[in-house]
Amino acid sequence: MDGNPFLTEEQKQRYQRQLSIPEISVDGQVRLRNARVMIVGLGGLGSVSSFYLAAAGVGCLRIVDHDTVGLNNLNRQILHSTLDLNRPKIESAAEKLQRLNPECLLEPVRARIGEDNGLDLAEGCDLVLDATDNPATRHVLNRISLARRIPLLYGGINGWNGTATTFVPGETGCFACLFPSKDLKTPATGVPALGAAAGVIGSIQSVEAVRILVGMKPALANRLVKFQGNSIQFRTVHVGRDPACAQCGPSGGD
Amino acid sequence: MGRTIHITVNGMTEEVPERATLAWLIEHFKEEDPALIVEHNGRFVYLHQYSATTVTENDRVEFIHPDFGG
Repeated sequence: MDGNPFLTEEQKQRYQRQLSIPEISVDGQVRLRNARVMIVGLGGLGSVSSFYLAAAGVGCLRIVDHDTVGLNNLNRQILHSTLDLNRPKIESAAEKLQRLNPECLLEPVRARIGEDNGLDLAEGCDLVLDATDNPATRHVLNRISLARRIPLLYGGINGWNGTATTFVPGETGCFACLFPSKDLKTPATGVPALGAAAGVIGSIQSVEAVRILVGMKPALANRLVKFQGNSIQFRTVHVGRDPACAQCGPSGGD
Repeated sequence: MGRTIHITVNGMTEEVPERATLAWLIEHFKEEDPALIVEHNGRFVYLHQYSATTVTENDRVEFIHPDFGG
């Protein structure tokens, strides 16, 4: 986007508390301003990550969701309110995000992401933030990430718990390395979900996105973090690339 | 069950047959899940290695069920 290496007086004030973080400072803030992030899903996870990334000064958020706001969303999808019932989530989200940070360019897309439109939707994006609610869509995001060679920040929740990791094409394994099975299903009635668990995982994804955008190494590359909310514990598992992976291995599209 | 060994599964000491495979442990401890993540002595094990990977005395095995809701 713009090559301006300076911040306005207003930006210096708005981002004052993060400009004093050494790894961010003015340089990182300008990087954030020049970044475009695609957030897929504006539910429990996307409510949190879109809000934090808009607040942090990410220049452009391409927010993608096909759904409307339902009453059973509101225990966890904190970007939407009771007044938003039946509105498209992208419309409700864009309104709140714009109000939070008028400088954030919002690119709302009302669509169900799939093989047919995914690659085009990610054009120009620096990373894909997964805020979806099913493994099948995550496999689509994985193929977009590999084809565009941009990081995919996976996050998911179930009940009290949540999981997150980062896939960087060429550096780490991919979603299909970890979850090659095509038989991953979520119940038709929806996965149980405590709002605050989505808050934890959405926040982890937001921290990771900021790290990557300001030029730091992804903290969750080759590392999967599992949050167990009913005992408030984090576990970390070292993960890696599967040389035999059908997606990113020699026989895949990489 | 013949000769047995002691290993740690999800932080608990367990007695299992010598040369048990990860595939056997997954079934025995009822951890079946197509998305299961298995860590063996701190190393991630791919799905296609479960049947060929055996445990020995004092090994550590972790089963983690990832989350896919949003």
